[in-house]
Amino acid sequence: MLLRSIISRLIAVAITLFGVAVVVFTLIRVAPGNPIAMMLPPGATAADIARLEALYGFDKSLPEQFVIWLKAVAQGDFGTSIIMRQPVAELVLERLPATLELALMALLLAVALGGLGAVVGARFRGRSPELGVDLGVGVGLSVPDFLWGLLLILLFGVLWPVLQISGRVDPRLAVDLSTNFYIIEGLLRGQWRLVQDVLAHMLMPALALSLPLAAMIAQVLKQSLKAELHLDYTQLARVRGLSETRVIVSEALRNAALPTLTLIGVQFTFLIGGTVIVERLFAYEGLGNMAIEAVINRDLPLIQGIVLLFALLFIVINLAVDLTYGLLNPRLRHG
Amino acid sequence: MSAPVLEISNLSVRLPNDLKVLNTVDLRVEPGEVRALVGESGAGKSMLGKAVLGILPAGLRQTGRITVLGQALDQLPASVRRREVARHVSLIPQDPLTALNPVRPIAAQMTDAMVRIHGWPRRKALARAADLLEQVHIRDVARVLKSYPHELSGGMRQRVLIAAAFATEPKLIVADEPTTALDATVQREILRIIRGLQQETGTTVLFVTHDMGVVAQISQRVTVLFGGRVVEHIDTEALFAGAGQGHAYSRALIRATPDWTRSDAPFAPVPPEVIADLMQEQTR
Repeated sequence: MLLRSIISRLIAVAITLFGVAVVVFTLIRVAPGNPIAMMLPPGATAADIARLEALYGFDKSLPEQFVIWLKAVAQGDFGTSIIMRQPVAELVLERLPATLELALMALLLAVALGGLGAVVGARFRGRSPELGVDLGVGVGLSVPDFLWGLLLILLFGVLWPVLQISGRVDPRLAVDLSTNFYIIEGLLRGQWRLVQDVLAHMLMPALALSLPLAAMIAQVLKQSLKAELHLDYTQLARVRGLSETRVIVSEALRNAALPTLTLIGVQFTFLIGGTVIVERLFAYEGLGNMAIEAVINRDLPLIQGIVLLFALLFIVINLAVDLTYGLLNPRLRHG
Repeated sequence: MSAPVLEISNLSVRLPNDLKVLNTVDLRVEPGEVRALVGESGAGKSMLGKAVLGILPAGLRQTGRITVLGQALDQLPASVRRREVARHVSLIPQDPLTALNPVRPIAAQMTDAMVRIHGWPRRKALARAADLLEQVHIRDVARVLKSYPHELSGGMRQRVLIAAAFATEPKLIVADEPTTALDATVQREILRIIRGLQQETGTTVLFVTHDMGVVAQISQRVTVLFGGRVVEHIDTEALFAGAGQGHAYSRALIRATPDWTRSDAPFAPVPPEVIADLMQEQTR
């Protein structure tokens, strides 16, 4: 039973990735803009162009190019970046940790802020703190992440400059790590100076990404909590001496978390999409920033690699959400 | 006479629009007594139970005095009141399907209160939980303790809730229509179980119900409510003796109870003139 569901899941993953590959491969070749033109200096001859086109395989038909690329990908070769002249897989994997850490930090902040808002709003339901939470939710939802980014730069970069507005780490700081997971590895190795500096760089972009999601979490979770608080089991918990806050946190929260978890699963993928523009805004050296460079330069192999990686990331996130769902809800564990 | 377990005097509960859902209610329940609290929908019987437990919905205003074991609950700060209620009073809720937390196993839900209120070690609490589950006629105790609520039937869940209510050795149990959500055969069994545990432990019970049949089976005394006011307090036996004792309204409620054993049982709602008399009486 379990084996069958794993296999069907893997088949679905393969089909999804193939679909993404077809779409992205076709789209970026149909779109205007020629990568070869970007590579050559002005005044290059037609022969030069033809030579380069042959070198990169652009002289072949679209289906032929796709098959060649897919074969290579199947063997783990994602091609070479046209601009950087380095293997795509290498480039992408080098940047992935930066984006993952940023996205996870944003998720953490969103869950913390949204969860806090929901608990406070439900605890003081019908009173002014709930109104405050609702107002915050409205503002959080109506301002997009990049605008939050600009606002934060103004606040904590200019008016009260306590945070770093650009980059991922102070370039003067010697980074002596074996992976690019600066925070995770830094924490494990106890390099507090480095972690502190990376956090000072990451906090603003992470916060900018997290605020809209935090607002959504606060709204949905508060509604679910309020619904749970009408049920008899919370009534019984009160009779057994739990304070209202403890009724919410230790009895209702796990039940109310289920719809919110679905929301987080869906919205987290949007959040990762949001890293593209927010990373650009903060000159943060992650995948998103690299994606913009790749698009501007028509670096087709690199675009393909990044998009495929994003697609894989979305799939992994959805899987993780499904697994957590079963963990939280005993009704899903059997049968 | 010994001190009452529950004494309510001059209790009124007002809605935000100043409508009184409970109106100058007096009630005195002696140790070991099973007191039925009966009335039609909206009579305020569940509100009275909630007021005793301190779980009235937000926005309702309460005046008057509620004394449990000689302690005036309304005089206490909220946190102390909560602790005192938890120590001395339990609730058997109405709907067993929503009264257990779906994501926690039965064992945890039964033992939590014992550990927190009495400070018993978890193992002692677990042993008591198992013991009580046997007393409410659950056969597969070990399995039930490990189960989640959705793995048990409604009747099983209500037994678990009854066991949990007795687990903390309360002096007073508020049973809020505990059989209403169950079908007839399970109802009888549940009533027998509550009655059995009550007699064994001598716990005082405030039994909220709209069913005169249940009143006759379980209680020694009845308090009849109408429109938030007490119609009368009367011995159950006297009321059901058929000798014309009790208020006309109470007797009309008994007649209104459908008789399941006869196919030609008459439909006998409370006559309008009884209601009219009662309302006139209450405005006086």
